[in-house]
Amino acid sequence: MITLLKNAKVIDPAHGKDGVKQDIYIRDGRIIAKPAESEKIGQVYDLNGKIVMAGAIDMHSHIGGGKVNIARMLLPEYQAMRQLEEPEAHICGANCSHLATPNTTDTGMRYIEMGYTAAFEPAVLAVNARQAHMEMGDTPMIDKGGYAMLGNDDYLLRLLSQNADQKTINDYVAWTLHATQTIGIKVVNPGGISAFKFNERRQDLDQQHAFYQITPRRILQALSRAVHDIGIAKPLHVHCNNLGVAGNFQTTLDTMGASDGLPMHLTHIQFHSYGTEGDKKFSSAAANIAEAINKNKHITADVGQILFGQTVTASGDNMMQHLNAKVANPKKSVIMDIECDAGCGVVPFKYRDENYVNALQWAIGLEVFLSVEDPWRVFLTTDHPNGAPFTSYPHLIRLLMDKTFRNDAFDKLNLDAQAMSNLKALNREYSLYEIATMTRAAPAKLIGLHDRGHLGVGAAADITVYTEQADKEAMFAKPDLVFKDGELVVKEGKVIKVVWGATHTAKPAFDLGVEKEIKQYFDRYHTMQMDHFKISNDHIAEDGRNHVINHTQG
Amino acid sequence: MNIQQNTMHTCPACGLLCDDISSEAVSSRQLSCGKAAAFYARVTTGVTPQVGGRAASLAEAVTAAANILKQSKAPLVAGSSTDVHGARALVGLSHRTHAGMTHLNASSTLRNMKVLQHKGWQTTTLTEVRNRADVILMIGTDVVSHNARFFERVVWVPEAMFTAPSARKIIYLGGDQLDTTPGISPEGVAPQVIDCATAQLPAVVSCLRALVMNKPLSAAAVAGVPIDQLRALAEILKAAKYATLVWVSKDLDYDHADLTIENITETVVALNQKSRAMGLSLGGSDGDTSVNYAHTWLNGVIIDAPAWESHDTVVWVNSYSPQAMPPAGTQPVIVLGAPDSTFDAAPAVFIPVATPGLDCAGQQFRVDGSVTLPLTAVKPADAPTLSQVIAMIEAELEGASA
Repeated sequence: MITLLKNAKVIDPAHGKDGVKQDIYIRDGRIIAKPAESEKIGQVYDLNGKIVMAGAIDMHSHIGGGKVNIARMLLPEYQAMRQLEEPEAHICGANCSHLATPNTTDTGMRYIEMGYTAAFEPAVLAVNARQAHMEMGDTPMIDKGGYAMLGNDDYLLRLLSQNADQKTINDYVAWTLHATQTIGIKVVNPGGISAFKFNERRQDLDQQHAFYQITPRRILQALSRAVHDIGIAKPLHVHCNNLGVAGNFQTTLDTMGASDGLPMHLTHIQFHSYGTEGDKKFSSAAANIAEAINKNKHITADVGQILFGQTVTASGDNMMQHLNAKVANPKKSVIMDIECDAGCGVVPFKYRDENYVNALQWAIGLEVFLSVEDPWRVFLTTDHPNGAPFTSYPHLIRLLMDKTFRNDAFDKLNLDAQAMSNLKALNREYSLYEIATMTRAAPAKLIGLHDRGHLGVGAAADITVYTEQADKEAMFAKPDLVFKDGELVVKEGKVIKVVWGATHTAKPAFDLGVEKEIKQYFDRYHTMQMDHFKISNDHIAEDGRNHVINHTQG
Repeated sequence: MNIQQNTMHTCPACGLLCDDISSEAVSSRQLSCGKAAAFYARVTTGVTPQVGGRAASLAEAVTAAANILKQSKAPLVAGSSTDVHGARALVGLSHRTHAGMTHLNASSTLRNMKVLQHKGWQTTTLTEVRNRADVILMIGTDVVSHNARFFERVVWVPEAMFTAPSARKIIYLGGDQLDTTPGISPEGVAPQVIDCATAQLPAVVSCLRALVMNKPLSAAAVAGVPIDQLRALAEILKAAKYATLVWVSKDLDYDHADLTIENITETVVALNQKSRAMGLSLGGSDGDTSVNYAHTWLNGVIIDAPAWESHDTVVWVNSYSPQAMPPAGTQPVIVLGAPDSTFDAAPAVFIPVATPGLDCAGQQFRVDGSVTLPLTAVKPADAPTLSQVIAMIEAELEGASA
């Protein structure tokens, strides 16, 4: 059956279309060229005057895996009860989680209601990947995927300290992608999570690791080279050293040079853009960071905007989270060392606009957004739930698109923070085209989802339909219609049909001979068999709800 | 890359999930662990469903179960001894029938969860302990009563990356009728044992925490334990490169035991100000970690303890403990259980379901919470899976409401 979306006003940056009036035809979940006159059109939606974009893609959102579930367990005070309507009531219980700790069903429902059709978990501990996939598999409505964390796993650090050749590292990285069913590689506080296990409390970019005698810079060089050489699209996803530390902008700038010019993505860069100026020795270095991003074309970044209110931070960076636990609100936290592979730190936070640091963090994120010129290289994230729940995206979009709204919010901030920010001097207002770029076309390109994030022939028919409104928060909070793989699943901001989405992976070719050494390592040091570490397609598919979509051959 | 066929099985008989069980070891009954031996010796074939104690077809039993649930105003899904797949199905059934849900280990799980929810904690996992721990302090437990192969798999291992395993310092603090012989090192060094009854642990552990935090203590002894001995223990913990404080919540079975657990975990937090230390909660059985975790990600809340009296029907699942049943007098009971279930009185409905890791495949969380392992059908049996049976019951319930 063919579905026709008529008279759509299409914003499709992947094809340079900005408000082009167009008809879209869908068959078997895909966008097709205009069919022959003889072919029957089954359904027609007249979208006259409506804005039509591809489904949005969240390229960095903590939606599944150990730390996320610990956050849910940690914070029972966020829970409430609610009345649900069908079809959501059919698959979901009456517990209503806080937006920072949604259960898996809520996660899928709230994303699709906002016109998002995919989200990527950026911190999959390799050894915990099976859990991450279980949770993502229980997340309805949207497509999922993950980035596997390397760079604090003892296997890689041993390889580097033994001067292993790059090919061995490349094979190990590719093997990890296969074994964990992920689509990208992330490094968190390179070397630092491991160093914490040896009682180090900070790890700078050029500081030798206490045990392995290698530097974070060396880890970044090796991993960015590996990611490049094995030929996956997604550049190395880097959570820099010194997260949250005043003066860390210099580490961030230095990190940009650590990949020898190879593509690198710096994540939640707001948390890494801090100076030490002023009486409180905490200032915005957003201008320095944005200037460097503008100049360094190999760098992309997502912002990790904070917004005010209660949330919980969940990170693999247990070294820095252990320090942050002092300012937890409510005052409790979970810090873990995990399997000679990684760590995790879960710390609740309440960001307040009257607090100097929080207010400046808010301004720093927006300064970065407004000062990075190319919307293809800066991505809209709150680092859910670390900066704010993903459900605050419509509010964030309005802050970017509406200078008056933004300045009114700025005027309510802590006055000392206002004095330290140049936000009001930034007059830029994002256009719909730029928003569509940073939330659709660019993330699809960055991750390597060739058939998502655009509305060209052959694309998956993940499509969001909006009524244009002056209030952009209202517009983006509640699309008129959302299609997932060609099926109408949301109408007037409400889910009308439950679907389950797929899991996106990258499985580049590699030399299977690398497994011999890996197996020896498992047999000597681990408490599980190497074969049990690997996740099969069948484990992802399980009960038939999920399936794997691979984006490489080999 | 081909995902190779697993040559080793994962044993779900306790929370340790040892995944080095060969088919040969199962068939020749050469298993070093009593729990594993008993698990793999189970006979689970050729059992038929029952309604009111009489043999019935699967369809008849499903219809009977659905009819009871239709009549029920406040059902409870309990036992819940299953794996992640089973837990998902049980959560689905609880949504569909507006049932409460609990697990047969809920009360001991909650002791830990109260601490997590009040203060949080700092914990580690088995492979970290295996490669790093130079001091292991077991509080109120010998571990081996629950996790028989703990010393074999984690402590007295041939080699470790960052420490000499045979030189580890093993200390037992308190506990009743402990088997401390596994704590003897391969070179014959006996563990340190600081005796006190489990009931005395609240006072002893809080003193240990105070000493680690450098608080002054004027008493000479607490619960019969000399303070100097605890002070020396505190110094050992502070001097360790990676001290690991182990407890088993099931062994701390007294009122307000969560406060003892919190004192253990806050001792770890205090140690981590200057050195490295971590907590490790062991035990775990009947898929309790898996069911609690899956319940949490699906519902946003942890598993709670049951209030039996407020429910008028119980759906009981006992995949790993065929002898386990709800409290006497509970009725009606629908057992979706191990084929080798044993009953004092016949339940209203009994539907044998496959046990994950024995009769069918599955996935299970290890007790340390970070590692999940695949389970294989070691001895494939004819019973349907829990998910299949629940799907059939739900279809009957749907039919009724359509």
